[in-house]
Amino acid sequence: MPGSPLSTFNFARHQRELAALSAFAILLVLTGIVSPSFFDPANLRDLAVANAPVLIVAVGMTLVILAGQIDISVGSQFAVCSMLAGSLANTGIPVPLLVLLVPVAGGLLGALNGAFVAKLRMPSIVVTLAMMVVLRDALRWITEGAWVQGMPSGFQWFGAGQATGQVLIVIVALVVLFGIRWALNNLGAGRTVYAVGSDSEAARLAGVSPQQVVWVVFMLVGALTGLAALLNSVRFNSIPSNSGLGLELKAIAAVVVGGTAITGGRGSLIGTLIGTALLGTVGTALTYLGVNPFWEKAIQGGIILLALLSDILFSRMTSASIGLRREGAR
Amino acid sequence: MNQVVSKYSIAGLQSAPPLLARIFPNQEWALIIVLLVECAIFSALGTNFLTAGNGFEIVRLSVEIGLLALALTPVIITGGIDLSVGSMMGLSAVVLGGLWHDAGWPLPFAVLAALLLGLTGGGLNALLIARLKLPPLIVTLGTFSLYRGLAEGLTRGLETYRGFPSEFLFLGQGYIGGIIPPQLFVLVLAIIGVWWLLHRSIHGRSLYAVGYSSEGAIFAGIPVGRRLTWVYVMSGFVASAAAVIYVAHLGQAKSDAGTGYELMAITAVVLGGTSIYGGRGTVLGTVLGLFAVVILQNGLRLSGQPAELAGILTGGLLLTTIIIDRYAHRRAANPLSKVTQSIVDEEFEVKNSQVAILSAVILTAALIVAGSNWALIRSLQLNAGSLPARSASGTAASPDEKSKLVIAVMPKAKGDPYFASCRQGAEEAATELGVELLWDGPTDLDPAKQNELVEAWITRGVDAIAVSVSNKEGISTVLRKAREKGIKVLTWDADAEKDARDFLVNQATPQGIGYTLTDEAARILSGSGEFAIITGSLSADNQNEWIRHIRARLAEKHPKLKLVGIQPSDDDRDRAFTEAQNIMKTKPNVKLIMGISAPAVPGAAEAVKQSGRKDVKVMGLSLPNLCKSYVHDGVIESVILWNTIDLGYLVVHASKAVKEGALKQGMTEMIAGRKGRVVVQNDEIILGAPFIFNKRNIDGFNF
Repeated sequence: MPGSPLSTFNFARHQRELAALSAFAILLVLTGIVSPSFFDPANLRDLAVANAPVLIVAVGMTLVILAGQIDISVGSQFAVCSMLAGSLANTGIPVPLLVLLVPVAGGLLGALNGAFVAKLRMPSIVVTLAMMVVLRDALRWITEGAWVQGMPSGFQWFGAGQATGQVLIVIVALVVLFGIRWALNNLGAGRTVYAVGSDSEAARLAGVSPQQVVWVVFMLVGALTGLAALLNSVRFNSIPSNSGLGLELKAIAAVVVGGTAITGGRGSLIGTLIGTALLGTVGTALTYLGVNPFWEKAIQGGIILLALLSDILFSRMTSASIGLRREGAR
Repeated sequence: MNQVVSKYSIAGLQSAPPLLARIFPNQEWALIIVLLVECAIFSALGTNFLTAGNGFEIVRLSVEIGLLALALTPVIITGGIDLSVGSMMGLSAVVLGGLWHDAGWPLPFAVLAALLLGLTGGGLNALLIARLKLPPLIVTLGTFSLYRGLAEGLTRGLETYRGFPSEFLFLGQGYIGGIIPPQLFVLVLAIIGVWWLLHRSIHGRSLYAVGYSSEGAIFAGIPVGRRLTWVYVMSGFVASAAAVIYVAHLGQAKSDAGTGYELMAITAVVLGGTSIYGGRGTVLGTVLGLFAVVILQNGLRLSGQPAELAGILTGGLLLTTIIIDRYAHRRAANPLSKVTQSIVDEEFEVKNSQVAILSAVILTAALIVAGSNWALIRSLQLNAGSLPARSASGTAASPDEKSKLVIAVMPKAKGDPYFASCRQGAEEAATELGVELLWDGPTDLDPAKQNELVEAWITRGVDAIAVSVSNKEGISTVLRKAREKGIKVLTWDADAEKDARDFLVNQATPQGIGYTLTDEAARILSGSGEFAIITGSLSADNQNEWIRHIRARLAEKHPKLKLVGIQPSDDDRDRAFTEAQNIMKTKPNVKLIMGISAPAVPGAAEAVKQSGRKDVKVMGLSLPNLCKSYVHDGVIESVILWNTIDLGYLVVHASKAVKEGALKQGMTEMIAGRKGRVVVQNDEIILGAPFIFNKRNIDGFNF
């Protein structure tokens, strides 16, 4: 691979995206051979709709990880925002207001995380661990497991009907992804996320306020989680009180499999898209392949480890030619 | 200690550090204050909190998490993390059980093999982290899934190994000298071992150097890779040792052992002042952090507070301690900038704010506890006339004092709509009878929580305990202990071993449920066709038992009915939705989807509804309220359940009757309030057969 200059450049920058993409391709081909009905448009549509909310959360998670932080409270935020969406809808407020309010509520939760991390300089993994437990248990205490039901008919699919609603959800997810990707690559604010993530001190000396960037990023992940919760809620006509369990791990795994460095400063949203698609498809593909569901968790763990190993493999192959070496992991 | 030495030598101070800093190099005194406050609050609010027996119970509860926390302390000090320890416990438990039970190995060899497995699992982490220099968070996130997945795959999720010899169980359940739990010695040994390693050995000192600056450590000639390898291997080993104790404690080995323990262990470590960035932390802090968490849980149980409060307060405590820590160590984050002579002065400045924040938090916590307690008492008084709160004596009811009976009822899980509706009935009965109802249960899937709660209720001295059992063999030991102490024990919803309880409130036998589900499925499919099941989690005991009876009934009565697939939903509505979609697409001949967990039925119904297929029907075990709209749409043909409100109602009535001697062995019926006469068969109180809800009758029920 370190042959022509062009291929060296591409592989060095997008090695992990390519690795995830090839894994995804292998999975698709394998499933396609065993069970061609996997490529049935209805199945692809269902997969896209089910994974769109996860994708939105994973986009937020990518931002946080790029900035060198982590947020493991997104699952609990998701549950709180879902319940809020249902309860608000039941008060009869108009849908556009709902679309505004739920992400704002998520943003407030995120801002709280951000305040602890940015202003009080606390480690994000601890802050969000505490937030995860507090939000989840508070919700359990308040709802006692009751579901929110009996939403007005305009709630499911935003009243637009199933076919339109499904397309809408996927489009919103993709718009979020590509919009933020554009901002990350082309706006000054976007570049500062990378700057803070790769070297916070250098970013500060260059005139960027790392605290401000981190705070905004946490607020964004909260708002995106709120949006995802809303989009997920409108797929159904009732809202369970325990939604979003394990969502944080799903999102982090998708981001990491997509090649974003957990140490911050390096990664792309296209990678996150591939990672989400790969991990979101595995479960369904296994059902099509007739693999026993008992092994699903083990296979997902294996994918994460393989993604990491492929990273090393590619690094070894390319580092000699471009003189880069991985930083030692802390 | 290392920390102090390094800090003060940087500052160039000649004199020794102040005494407080020498004993508590990492602000551990703050935790001691927290512990004291916890003890003060709970000895006022709780019943029998400050007793030697309860002290030892607290130790027993903290051993498994404590071992993990002790193993994680060096890991975190090197700046790493190990998320896989809880999953490693599950894998070790399963391998231990499998080798002993299926492969017929002698138990000591099986234990040895499990420990070796821990070394290997830790070795895999170490290989990836120390040799290949991959980030620990992600590596162990991967092995977190991998190990748990292997445990589930190896046992198909449903194998539960039971019947361990009593000498082995003694390790987890016995008492030395009638009061001291044997695990205590393991914990003490582990504490001494890790303390010596971290604070008294050169090896341990080098771990701080690695965590403080990995690069610096390399230049100082420390073999960083070898040190890291060692730390992660030990973490895997300790995790499997914790698994062995866990198996002995619960009397069963199953793939869900240790679920969520990694987070509790990390909480204890971080609470103890170990910096998540590495380079700083003490064993004393970890031990104090561990007890702060465990005593909080235990105290809340003994004072009858809901289990959710433990999570909320732990989270709050965690944030507060870190804030204190941050203020105290502001400069530590940036060691090279301004480390000058003012350290000692600032140390004093900081203390005021620390004390202020600490007091604020303690006050808030106390207010929350007191407030909810006040609300509880008030609601009881409103409901049942004015009666004073239960006196602290707690033991057998004194004859002259007309104190209220305390009946403790435990669901399998809180936050489940099924049990929420049972609670309605239980509260109705409690108000009617003028008894005090304690309703509490696990908030997560950890099977050890039920045992811990029963232990707490025994210590508290309740009059009757009624449990919906999620782990038959494991809980029977503590239920027997409760009976020895004169507490009446009932089971409901799912039974324990027969000699561990006085009566079972039987809403329907697993056989009855399985048969009714199968017969109803046969009716819907007119006797022949394919159907699939969506279950809760693959390791849930009762659901696996229902499936067994469904298979038996199929073989016996409905040979043309074919069960073609069983998919898990983890009790998550959204996952059930996806699984139903997959079933419809991969198995087009399936004409009926049977959900056997409450959220699975509406989830599957929504999937069928959205697919637009009119030829697929949904049925199963769920709550009428969750399914009403689908029943009216014609997607759900029928929902099978008993009257859950009546079940909760009957449990409280029966508990009181058994306690007061109104219901004894050999009676054939009892009177239960608005339910009237209820049939009693031997030691079972019969609620009635499962009920089939359908289009015609479902609107008459509201739960």
